Amino acid sequence: MSPNSDLQALSSALAAAVQSAGASVVTVDARQRFPASGVVTEPGLVLTASHVVQEDEIKVTLPDGDELNAELLGRDSNSDLALLKLSAQKGTAAQTNENPQIGQLALALGRPTAEGVQASLGIASAIGGPVRTHHGGLLESYLRTDAIPYPGFSGGPLVDAEGRVLGINTSGLGMGASLTIPAKLAWQIAKALEEHGSVKRGYLGVRSQLVEIAEDARKALKREQETGLLIMGVEKNSPAAAAGLIVGDIIVGFAGQSISDHDELLLQLNSGVVGKAIDLEVLRGGKPQVVKVTIGEQAESREQHFRGPIRGRRFGYHHWGWRR
Amino acid sequence: MALPIDPSASPSGQQFGTVFASVVSTAKASLVAVFDKRHGAGAGILWSTDGLVLTNRHVLGRRHPKVLLADERQLDAEVIATDEEVDLALLRVDACDLPTARIGDSTQLRVGELVFTLGHPWGQRNAASFGVISHLGSAQTRGRRGLIPIIRTDARLAPGNSGGPLLNAAGEVVGINTMIVGGNQGIAIPSAVAVDFVEQVKVKSSV
Repeated sequence: MSPNSDLQALSSALAAAVQSAGASVVTVDARQRFPASGVVTEPGLVLTASHVVQEDEIKVTLPDGDELNAELLGRDSNSDLALLKLSAQKGTAAQTNENPQIGQLALALGRPTAEGVQASLGIASAIGGPVRTHHGGLLESYLRTDAIPYPGFSGGPLVDAEGRVLGINTSGLGMGASLTIPAKLAWQIAKALEEHGSVKRGYLGVRSQLVEIAEDARKALKREQETGLLIMGVEKNSPAAAAGLIVGDIIVGFAGQSISDHDELLLQLNSGVVGKAIDLEVLRGGKPQVVKVTIGEQAESREQHFRGPIRGRRFGYHHWGWRR
Repeated sequence: MALPIDPSASPSGQQFGTVFASVVSTAKASLVAVFDKRHGAGAGILWSTDGLVLTNRHVLGRRHPKVLLADERQLDAEVIATDEEVDLALLRVDACDLPTARIGDSTQLRVGELVFTLGHPWGQRNAASFGVISHLGSAQTRGRRGLIPIIRTDARLAPGNSGGPLLNAAGEVVGINTMIVGGNQGIAIPSAVAVDFVEQVKVKSSV
């Protein structure tokens, strides 16, 4: 019976993982459809999927059946995460695992009903990112799993075989299948939502197009970089305008990092650079130049800006940080 | 409890693979196929050495069912009892010394436990799948006259799995695979319900 007992050990370890992780998985009832799930990050705080929070009245049910009112501290449509504050400092904080490995066993958990925690087994299938979401923003990293995301699993965790949270599952990013926001990124976003009610994103104030760098300019740049971002428009009163950036400049570097496409620039315009003076490297008249730009803070979530016909890559150019 | 995720730790992935296979091959001896409709077949398990077969009620049609044993013997079966409410049926075939399924205690199940299924999905004989217990809940019976506990699993099921066993990691039958919902969730009737059903039949008809 010894080989069987290995299997039974694995089986009961998985059940134990569900039980321990399930202590932090709560029911989030804030939409007309059936409830979804959430994860307690610390007593009194619940991280969930933004798209399941649709109503002002938010009810959170803890694993012990305790039903609490909750308020929305903030949401980030870019990662489809929302942070809720419970009316009491209750709940068991989840443990995290910030180093997912492709192929490791993973369980998707949810608690959409009062009948207890639910689970589905799979593996961590892929680690990816940065990727552009259908909201127009850039998601720094993501996980994919083949565990089945059953209805109401959005906002619930993907956990490892020891019950530690690998990430938060969501089907709300509209990228085909369900996606998992890795724990490291999710907890960073939760912290930003707790402190500011939003995730700060850098604001430059230019419209640009991807262009090839001319041979001469490339030589002047003294590095193997084939593309840059041609500035097509500078917004009034923007950090870019204040720094003296003009139409025709080609952005090729940001704080010492080369910028050869839009995603690379978006990745640099994160919360860390807001308010900081950054060396922006541009080609002006084919000659490299460094311009100091004090990065502003994007006023609203990108989602609202990008709901126009010029959203996305279809028209060959992007714009960001365009204040209304 | 820590898991041997490190490949150098024992048991290895290959060993686990072998164990998966041994659980399935042991349980296959008591798996049968039940034919009663013009198309397709259901599954069933050998309940007693003297020929009792448990399957789903909905696997049976109006005609007389035939049971195909794991050793390829095809036998006529007599329907002893059916219960629409819990979708179970007890048949008898004329045979003895049959390898019976080991029945586990479904009341001890936990969400996340490993489970295996055996059956004949889409007519593929003796096919296995595996997953975990997804949810332990309850559902209304077919006639909506009461609630019964049900097991939900992410193990893949298809038509032809009905009546087949849901096995735990010890190879014991903990449920009877009965339905598929939403295309990707299997529903099994817990073994405790099956045991009750068979006991009641025994009391009533003294088989």
